[in-house]
Amino acid sequence: MFEGCTIGNRIPFIEAASRKVFEKVGIETSQAPFTCCPDPTGLKSFDNDVWLTMGALNLCIAEAEGKDIISLCNGCTNTLRGVRHQLAHDSLMKEKVNKELSKVGKEYKGTIDVKHFVDVLHDHLDKVKSAISKPLSGLKVAVHPGCHYMRPAEWMESDDPMRPKVLKELVAASGATIAEYEEEVLCCGSAVTNAYEEHGMANLKIKMDSIKRSGADVVVVNCPACFQQFDTKQRDLGKKYETEYDIPVLYITELYALAMGYSPDDIGLKFHRTRLKSILERLGL
Amino acid sequence: MSIDFEFRKLVMDHHIGSDLIKYCYQCSRCADNCPVTRVSFDFYGTSGYNPRSNILNALLGYKDAIFDADPLVIWGCTVCDTCDEVCPQNIELTEIFTFLKNESVKKGNAPEYLIEQAKAICDSAKAIPSQPAIERRREQLGLPSIVAPNVEEVQTLFKNIGSDKYLD
Ligand code: SF4
Ligand code: SF4
Repeated sequence: MFEGCTIGNRIPFIEAASRKVFEKVGIETSQAPFTCCPDPTGLKSFDNDVWLTMGALNLCIAEAEGKDIISLCNGCTNTLRGVRHQLAHDSLMKEKVNKELSKVGKEYKGTIDVKHFVDVLHDHLDKVKSAISKPLSGLKVAVHPGCHYMRPAEWMESDDPMRPKVLKELVAASGATIAEYEEEVLCCGSAVTNAYEEHGMANLKIKMDSIKRSGADVVVVNCPACFQQFDTKQRDLGKKYETEYDIPVLYITELYALAMGYSPDDIGLKFHRTRLKSILERLGL
Repeated sequence: MSIDFEFRKLVMDHHIGSDLIKYCYQCSRCADNCPVTRVSFDFYGTSGYNPRSNILNALLGYKDAIFDADPLVIWGCTVCDTCDEVCPQNIELTEIFTFLKNESVKKGNAPEYLIEQAKAICDSAKAIPSQPAIERRREQLGLPSIVAPNVEEVQTLFKNIGSDKYLD
């Protein structure tokens, strides 16, 4: 399992919920000494060659164990699938990368696959449904699958790049209701916020206004970067534009953990910044 | 504004989708769907972020218009990959933009957060290094500790590829 830097070293409560859900569904995982994926919106912009080579290094680590990778993060999946795709189609680049890898005693062969955990859960939808013991009826959910879960479609091969539906199907399986909103495929703006906060916040406002209009109780995500953008920036956004947003954020595996009978304390929901209290009370949790 | 043929060639060579970039007909669908253009571009003026102009300037070899302008011209992109999907000519715009960003790094014009992240990765093999407080939280949550990556291997890669010199 590729937990990634953000989940592993910053918001590990998401890993806790994910592991519990995987156990219920019968998805077995193991750990490996992975490095940063590296970040497709960060290190790739810094140096594409280092990005490709480090990505291939991670693929080598999984190849050595003969196991596919399951990733908990859109960015990591995007990098690892992107590297895999590029090296499969560009033999010159593969040679160049392998020359660098040979200096650390490794060789990339291209024998394993990389999967986003959302797709794995979707493949196990029957098992997911039978593990749901406390359906979340009455909860209105806005979904945000996030850019790198489905784009570029050429190598993500997961969902429709502009009209995604997989996350909605997963949420519906929990018994919750989908709140449709106009700006579903709009980026959370995490990357541009790092460099140009002003533009990042203006973008987030468009997104959150649209979610708010939908009447959603909660927004469900499947990427730690999007999670942090919504969870940690919402208060500043509200202050800046003098609007009360107050829409809590849940990872799809947190939503599932609750629907599978775990308590908010079991999965560390208290570590969220946005307040979940009122929706948890309504759900009787 | 001058045309730099060497730069033009690098742009063409970088595009893994062969030479599709030549078929850009400036329809502006990329800019119309770009979230950053939406919040930053001033309709009557020239300020703000615009992927269509970047493709035009890269294609024509107008190096100065890209690298000697406000860094927003390159670094405004939030890498949402929407332009790639909507372009009617199937141009992989973000591939070109990655190349432009890599060049901008070499000129010392990268935003600070990017260099910080690259440094963290080179120092610890992780964009977010492990911290004692989070280690404790993992334990409280019943999580196993993270298996330590091989930092030396990562440093060797950075050094051999030669990008360690852009870290300061
Ligand atoms: S959408 Fe494609 S063809 Fe149209 S302006 Fe943008 S890059 Fe050019
Ligand atoms: S990838 Fe960059 S240029 Fe393309 S639409 Fe997204 S923000 Fe705009």
